[in-house]
Amino acid sequence: MSNKIVLGLVLGGVLGILDGLTAWFTPAVRAGIVGIVFGSMFKGLIAGVLIGVFARKVHSLALGIVFGLAVGAFLAWIIAFMQHGYYFQIMLPGAMVGLIVGYATQKYGASGQLQRA
Amino acid sequence: MKFLPDQVVVRLQTGMQTPDLSGTRYRALELLGQGGMGAVWLVQDSILQRPVALKILTAENSSADLAARLMQEAVVLARLEHPGIVPVHDAGTLPDGRTFYCMKLVEGKTLDHYVLKLPLRERLRLFQRIAEPLAFAHSRGIIHRDLKPSNVMVGSFGEVLIMDWGLAKVLNVTGAPSAQVPGAVEESSLTKQVSEQVMDAFGGFSPAKQVSGHEFTRAVKPGASAPENATAHGTILGTPGYMAPEQERGDVNLIDQRTDVFALGSILQYLLQEPPGSQQSDSYSRPLRAICAKSMSAEMSDRYRTVQELAADVGRYLDGMPVSAYRENIFERTARLVSRNRVAVVLVLAYLFMRLLFILFSRH
Amino acid sequence: MAPNPQGDAFPLTQHSVVAAAQGRDPEQRSRAIDAITTSYWRPAYKYVRLRWHVEREDAEDFTQDFFSRLLEKDFLASYDPAKGKLRTFLRTCIDRLFMNQLRDAHRQKRGEAAIHISLDFEEAEHELAASTQTGSAEDYFEKEWVRTLFALAVERLRTQCRQAGKTTQFAVFERYDLGDEDNRPSYAVLAEEFRIAATDVTNYLAFARREFRRCVLAQLRDMTGSDEEFHREARSLLGVASK
Repeated sequence: MSNKIVLGLVLGGVLGILDGLTAWFTPAVRAGIVGIVFGSMFKGLIAGVLIGVFARKVHSLALGIVFGLAVGAFLAWIIAFMQHGYYFQIMLPGAMVGLIVGYATQKYGASGQLQRA
Repeated sequence: MKFLPDQVVVRLQTGMQTPDLSGTRYRALELLGQGGMGAVWLVQDSILQRPVALKILTAENSSADLAARLMQEAVVLARLEHPGIVPVHDAGTLPDGRTFYCMKLVEGKTLDHYVLKLPLRERLRLFQRIAEPLAFAHSRGIIHRDLKPSNVMVGSFGEVLIMDWGLAKVLNVTGAPSAQVPGAVEESSLTKQVSEQVMDAFGGFSPAKQVSGHEFTRAVKPGASAPENATAHGTILGTPGYMAPEQERGDVNLIDQRTDVFALGSILQYLLQEPPGSQQSDSYSRPLRAICAKSMSAEMSDRYRTVQELAADVGRYLDGMPVSAYRENIFERTARLVSRNRVAVVLVLAYLFMRLLFILFSRH
Repeated sequence: MAPNPQGDAFPLTQHSVVAAAQGRDPEQRSRAIDAITTSYWRPAYKYVRLRWHVEREDAEDFTQDFFSRLLEKDFLASYDPAKGKLRTFLRTCIDRLFMNQLRDAHRQKRGEAAIHISLDFEEAEHELAASTQTGSAEDYFEKEWVRTLFALAVERLRTQCRQAGKTTQFAVFERYDLGDEDNRPSYAVLAEEFRIAATDVTNYLAFARREFRRCVLAQLRDMTGSDEEFHREARSLLGVASK
């Protein structure tokens, strides 16, 4: 079973890509879809790592979800700020991705402490 | 002839039923229960100042085999030191000639009463705990042979105890693992000690003929008639409904831990009924049905090899994992994974739903 | 009732008293019938009095008649232990004989009875008055059967203790275990009465109870028709092993 950081990384990255791809349905930003996907993936990877590290240190489902939500929302806000708009459309999905990664890293994945032992 | 009034008759009859414990450390308090061979009395241990249970032979002692069988039960129990097996404190012969053994007084309920209002998952967890002392007994070469809900007690602290080892069989192992019996005991010292101890307690018996399965009745004096409940080939011991086919046929030489696996499977089937023991079934899931079916296969080779394997499969079911007794199709596997990861699935669906809404709104 | 010097109402040359009664040896048969008569005449008499509402004299005649016929007419030849208990068989025979006699209006006063046991009907009549009658006549017969079993066992014990020089043990047992509930003496009172130590009272009672148990089982052998019935009755009535 992969550890929590790797799980966060993979999940965050995949969901980030998925998130980025859905921008195609917004015609106004369709032209920059590649950049959006990469940016979203990168955001997802960072969020995944941060949330995974948190999950290794703190074993609490509730806190993991809240932390994931906060990290996902914050990183999404940065992207939206840079875009000067689409705050709601970017932050809500970003927060949800953070929530999902937060839940998954708390519930699944080895904590890594046993492996070290 | 002296006329005995009614109250005297009743008094004498009660007195006759009360065991003669004079000269022993015990004082009779109450009859707890009576079975085919013995009665169990609540007695007070006057030295240690605690209540204990005394199992006493009650059947008319037409054959010493019954007394020896009770003693064997005590010796077997004494060797099985496990939290799930009632400990034996003492054994011997009462002043009135009756064989007895003294054991811990278990306060609690039998399984059939305990599980009546328990939800299914709790019953299954309880079931897993029944397997533990049984596995231990098997590791010491002892087969219970009479497992059923009324022989399992749940104590006041929730501990599970397996009772009534009166029909237990001691497997005779020659020192080499048997090819037929997976996981067979690899030491013969326990069985040898058990048989020698029993024979010493009843001196005068001719040496037992060593046969596989070590049927105790071989220790009867030559020329003695076969006693009741002897386990000579062809004799049936056990409880209908929980007896494995080899037991029903009287194939005593085939009996091994898989016989107990069968009985354990019957107990599992019992626990799965709603309510337990109602004979109303079929509402439980296919994996559980498959586990029951595998445990209760007519062919010994088709059953779980050990009680641990059976308990492990039940454990896997409880954990939402696939069980070895049942091959899932793709839909069942998906349903199980979804069921096991319900929250994650809901979150992902919620995310996708939200995304879909965004797409729809952005079009407008 | 006069048991033989060994205290046995029936010397066990046969394992079953019924087998002896059904056998060919006339002496064995006679002694077996005597043993059965000793065990059953009281319950039979009381049963007839209650069940058929028969006057005392008629019940006496009938009881004498029945047990005489038991020997002469070989009633027991038709008894099969596999089909039921001995006492059930005898009770059925009693009913049948009574019905036949009623139908034929033919109750003979027998002159010289063929049975050799003296039947103290006076005593039986007192007992009938003293006992409680609840349930059916059949239930009453069963109850009287148990009472007779214990009473005969007490007589066995009395004889055995006398022969073994343990009359004090029996006397203590009789005073304590066979006494009226309301007037039951304490161990201290018994010790004083018999001039023994209080611990001796405990030991004497334990001895007597142990021996009484053996006497009950021995008597039960005389009152059951087969080994199986004996084992069954020992288990259900007494919950005992017979060592």
